[in-house]
Amino acid sequence: MTTADLSLSYEAAPTFSTPLRFFLTGPLFGLLAGAVLLFVPDLLGSRWTPGALALTHLIAVGFMLNIMFGALFQILPVVAGAAIPQARIVAGIVHVGLAAGAASLTWGLGAGSPPFLTAAVVLLGITFGVFLVAAWYGLRRTPIAQATPRDLRFALLGFGIAATLGMALAMILSGGLSLPLVTVVKLHVGWAWLGGSGLLLAATSWVVVPMFQITPNYPARLTRYWALLTCAALVAWSAAVLAGFSLLEFVLAIVLAALSGAFAITTLRLQTRSRRSVPDNTTRAFQLAMSCMIAGLLCIVAAHRFDHDVWPVVAGILILHGGFVTAIVGMLYKIVPFLAWLHLSQAGMKAPNMKKLQPDGPIRKHLIAHAAALAVLLVAALSGSTLVVRAAGVLVMLEFGLLFANLMRVLGAYRIARSA
Amino acid sequence: MKQVIDARGLEPPQPFELVMEAIADLRPGEGVKLLLDRMPYPLFRILDRDRYRYESRVRDDGVVEIDIVAP
Repeated sequence: MTTADLSLSYEAAPTFSTPLRFFLTGPLFGLLAGAVLLFVPDLLGSRWTPGALALTHLIAVGFMLNIMFGALFQILPVVAGAAIPQARIVAGIVHVGLAAGAASLTWGLGAGSPPFLTAAVVLLGITFGVFLVAAWYGLRRTPIAQATPRDLRFALLGFGIAATLGMALAMILSGGLSLPLVTVVKLHVGWAWLGGSGLLLAATSWVVVPMFQITPNYPARLTRYWALLTCAALVAWSAAVLAGFSLLEFVLAIVLAALSGAFAITTLRLQTRSRRSVPDNTTRAFQLAMSCMIAGLLCIVAAHRFDHDVWPVVAGILILHGGFVTAIVGMLYKIVPFLAWLHLSQAGMKAPNMKKLQPDGPIRKHLIAHAAALAVLLVAALSGSTLVVRAAGVLVMLEFGLLFANLMRVLGAYRIARSA
Repeated sequence: MKQVIDARGLEPPQPFELVMEAIADLRPGEGVKLLLDRMPYPLFRILDRDRYRYESRVRDDGVVEIDIVAP
């Protein structure tokens, strides 16, 4: 790659506020999720209850997508040498659209309100459309031969398919479309979990885990083929679901679980070879996340084998809250102080030490609250006790409150350094 | 002989700090070679801004080499 190519690719690098607005909005949806558990404690009986659907989307759309989309505004230029064009304008549209769409969607699902579901379809349709087109455009100059830029493209495609299926579901529920609900739900979950979030987590991990956790690189064979195989298996699994070939669908679900497990186990093994003598908070978060992913995958297999409502709920808690949320906060605690440091340095200012921007103590408190919330959530799902669900709600509110406070602390340190 | 900064295996932002210290001491026309695990896109932005000349290449073993020359 020549110097001229690079100049073109990062000329539109965004300001610090561009990703930060998403990072600060995400935890607010997490707080709402905690409030839902606290005030609607009978929702964990099945994954089909309106409360469970609302809760899932508060975390998946309200928290996870806010952080993932926000991170992409910076990951693309820093990691892939690409930049989303007109980042400030695109971020404004996506941020408002995502927040309003997530709120409308969760209210529509929780209250069973067709007008809110219809509004969510419009808002999230525009949001995804704008973001995916802009991000794809930003990636157009990046080398397709490199694993991260290539797999980021796969993830964008996966998010597009998951969002389209999600919008179809919202229209089915609001009475505007007639399609087989269970089939579309299955496809939506598969593509949202693996096609979008899973591929994005992997594409980011290829770079971020070795970079920040000081591990060897992922094996070249894994980074070269994992996303390709996962996409191919997802397409084949989708075809089996649509055709109603239940045995093939089960076999392909096992293949997908094995691929996810391979990613999680490889990450755990890399961490054991870290050059860091004592694991830091992010490494611990990733260890918890990968362990929860593996446990969640086993619960999915159990859900296929044993017909009981508790398995999908436990799998959902392990994968969403234990897996994705934990990995995301682990990455956030590296990305946010690094971006603060980078923007101060690029502005020619004396940047404080990373540990001063984001001290370890408050992160540890947050991760302890997060792990406690996860444990109590699992007990709540298994016991069915509304008292335990309420306790989980309080802990979920606490963990997201601490996350918000910790991110605000970095912003405060950044502002002080800027004004010094 | 050109100074070589081997910043492989260091956690960000240490590689960035090392190279910024090194290039601050260069006289016009002098250069450093930087060895990294990956392409440092944010660094290029600063080098461009401050008019340093640089060339980057990825070696067969995956190591990224960047030659930086002071303006």
